[in-house]
Amino acid sequence: MKSLHFLFLVCLLLSCDGGLTPPPAFDPGFGGTITFESWPPSDSLVNVWLFASQIYPLDSIKIFEGLFTTRKIFLYPGLTQSLPRYVDSVAYSFAPLEVGYYRYIGIIQQFNMQLSIRSFRVVGVYKNPADTLLPGEVDVRDFSFMSGINIKANFRNLPPQPF
Amino acid sequence: MKKRLLIICIALNAAICTAQITGSIVGKVIDGETKHPLSGANVTIRGTFIGTASNDDGEFRLLRIAPGTYTVVVSMLGYHRTVDEVKVNAGKESRIDVTLKPAIIQTEQIVITASRREQSLQEVPVSISTVTAQTLVDRNSITLDDALRYVPGVNFTQDQVNIRGSSGYSRGVGSRVLLLLDGAPYLTGDTGEISWEVIPVHQIERIEVVKGAGSALYGSSALGGVINVITKEATEGSEFRFRLFSGMYDNPRYPEWKWSSKKRFNSGILGTYGGRSGPLSYILSVGRTVDESYRENDTYHRWSFYSKTKYDLSTYRSISLSANYLTRTHGNFIWWKSRREATRPDDEQRNGEVTSNRGSVTATYKEFLSDKLFYTVRVQYFGNFWRDDSLGRVNNVSASHLFHGDAVATYELSSENFLTAGGSANYDIVHSNLFEVLGIKKAAPKGVGQALYIQDELRFGRAMRLTVGLRYDNQKVSALVAGSEINPKLGFTYSLDDATTVRASYGAGFRYPSIAEVFTETSVGIATIRPNLNIRSERSQSYEVGGTHRFGEMALLDAALFHTELENLIEAGIYRDSTGYFVQFDNVVKARIDGGEMGLKTYWFGGAIWTDLGYTYVWARDLIRKIALKFRPRHLLHVSVGATEGLFRTAIDFRYISRPETIDENLAGFVTHYDARVPIKVVDLRASYVLSDFGLPMQVGLNIRNLLNYHYVEVSGNLAPIRTFFLSIEGVL
Repeated sequence: MKSLHFLFLVCLLLSCDGGLTPPPAFDPGFGGTITFESWPPSDSLVNVWLFASQIYPLDSIKIFEGLFTTRKIFLYPGLTQSLPRYVDSVAYSFAPLEVGYYRYIGIIQQFNMQLSIRSFRVVGVYKNPADTLLPGEVDVRDFSFMSGINIKANFRNLPPQPF
Repeated sequence: MKKRLLIICIALNAAICTAQITGSIVGKVIDGETKHPLSGANVTIRGTFIGTASNDDGEFRLLRIAPGTYTVVVSMLGYHRTVDEVKVNAGKESRIDVTLKPAIIQTEQIVITASRREQSLQEVPVSISTVTAQTLVDRNSITLDDALRYVPGVNFTQDQVNIRGSSGYSRGVGSRVLLLLDGAPYLTGDTGEISWEVIPVHQIERIEVVKGAGSALYGSSALGGVINVITKEATEGSEFRFRLFSGMYDNPRYPEWKWSSKKRFNSGILGTYGGRSGPLSYILSVGRTVDESYRENDTYHRWSFYSKTKYDLSTYRSISLSANYLTRTHGNFIWWKSRREATRPDDEQRNGEVTSNRGSVTATYKEFLSDKLFYTVRVQYFGNFWRDDSLGRVNNVSASHLFHGDAVATYELSSENFLTAGGSANYDIVHSNLFEVLGIKKAAPKGVGQALYIQDELRFGRAMRLTVGLRYDNQKVSALVAGSEINPKLGFTYSLDDATTVRASYGAGFRYPSIAEVFTETSVGIATIRPNLNIRSERSQSYEVGGTHRFGEMALLDAALFHTELENLIEAGIYRDSTGYFVQFDNVVKARIDGGEMGLKTYWFGGAIWTDLGYTYVWARDLIRKIALKFRPRHLLHVSVGATEGLFRTAIDFRYISRPETIDENLAGFVTHYDARVPIKVVDLRASYVLSDFGLPMQVGLNIRNLLNYHYVEVSGNLAPIRTFFLSIEGVL
């Protein structure tokens, strides 16, 4: 009898750990390091952004809608802010970010003050680790943060443009 | 007016004449120790359909009995049964007053599932567990599956039952456990799944759980075992039974999981009116439950109806009609949004709703051709209709119609030889956008099946019994090749002495795939389900050895070892190809399940304190891939300690289920944090008090389920119920 009661007390104690817990609160997103090469002169460098697009391939209409209407394209550090200029590299943390599947991630340069699609160009793309000829994709999930999304930007050796 | 008076006079005259040519048996049943009247004791005349239950004063009346000498059996759970010879004379009332002696250990427990006739539990060559009506009340069981979670060897993965590792998880589709309602099969025609909520729990007399495929009397779908639900019979006169309960969900441990600012309740009201008047007995039951749930978009609304009418055509013939119907609407919570938001569904499921209507009608005819030959003929219809909607758009619709018929006869060739033989047939048809047969657009899948079986039980002296059985099954569904099997069964029991019995059994089993396992083709959110027309029937060879030993009036031990070889086990799997993830039923070519089970019940201070311990070890593995079968926990443990003091009863229950070693890794394609799993360690507390001292024929109960608010999942992405406080009241008017 005593041994059974002892067993029951052991069982009760076993249950006191509470079981499942919520994971730590991470803002969803991704991060890594951007490496820059061959910066252009300052008269052709208005802004530099990291972009993450759930849409690929792109055209001017999709870019406009993605940025301002459907919210499928996002800029880091923000529309009115630029990545630091004339540095060799910068660490970034693009979070919080909308949860979703990002098919095209890279660095974009605005090289004059006109707000036209012709004033922008992509200077670096996050590449698929398995096939560097293709853009890499990132699946951003709730409360998960992906690190190691490193991107090279070379202002003299541009990747294929998406538009 | 004159015509009516004439009819009344003729009827009265006929009644008086009948009373003069027949007699009656009346009496009272009392407790041998307290001398209090016992309500609900079963009083039957052996070899006939005459029977009743004692009323609240312990009294019973058996009317219109032909003159002769009869054997009257009085039984009640918790007491030794009595057998008395009674002589009935025409126009006379024979009286017997019965004193039942309390039995601390129920050594004479009677079961009917293993052989379709009454047998002592010690005579049965397979493992059987029983759940009594009192346990259902004490646990405040709302649906049938609540009551089975503490049966040794039985495990639930949400609402899918798994006996000794026989099943994994497939949202209930293709059950390997056959559910019977008063002996009639109760699996849906489309998915072959068990509908636990259709059966009104407060109408259950007892539940018998047969483990393994050791009986020849049950075929396809009984590969893992049989659960037979035996409902209550109406009592003499009339009575109204009711049950009210209300449960309140506590807050989860973590504020991140609290999604609603208001308290959530799970409440219900159930009422039954029944009685017996002469040869006619009737029961009508209505239930309404609303479970607001502890999760978002998971509210359940249920209406249930149940009726059972029986008419004794004569002392030796009876006909009965039972019907039930459940209408249910609930939210479509399939998996959580994330472990961080475990009580909210994935965004695509937030507006979904499922409506289902299920019901059956069963007609049964029984006859004693002599006191040694008895047969039953039964026909049944089971309809299952459901649809799921999202934002006003109907996604999937299904309507299945299942027709079933069976006949079984039991013949006592001698006092040492009982022969049972029978046959059954079924036909089902499903109209659904889910089950379109490939290549035959919009054709409704159909299934047909037949079975024949025979089982002989032989006694050798007082100690040894041998059961030999053979079963033939033939099943076919559209577009698949028919499956036919002849399976032998063998059972053996040997009583070493009054306290010890050993048993052994062997059974070959066979299960033909259900329509859903073959034809389902749909999308649920981002998950697509593909049909598999190449799927094959599964087969099993099961072996068991075991024994029971009673330690005086102190303890009862039951232990068993089991081994099952499985071929072409049908399992749900998640696969990936160039188009993405998809779900499909496929065969596991070779699998094996080994294990052991032990149950120990002890009684102290004359039964005032009791303990119940059950442990099952299950090692289920895929022999080709050399991994554990999916969703099978290796350890199942339950421990209960209870006390009874007069009219007050209390108990505390603990259950432990180890974390299944293998689940489907491709769940990652659907469920965020799919592998967030822990062992299940749940404590329940219950207490009840009978109000008879206050002159009220009622019992009040308090249950705290998941007392320590332990958080766990049974299925990936589905947080199991959190701590809930239940108050209940049950009574008779």
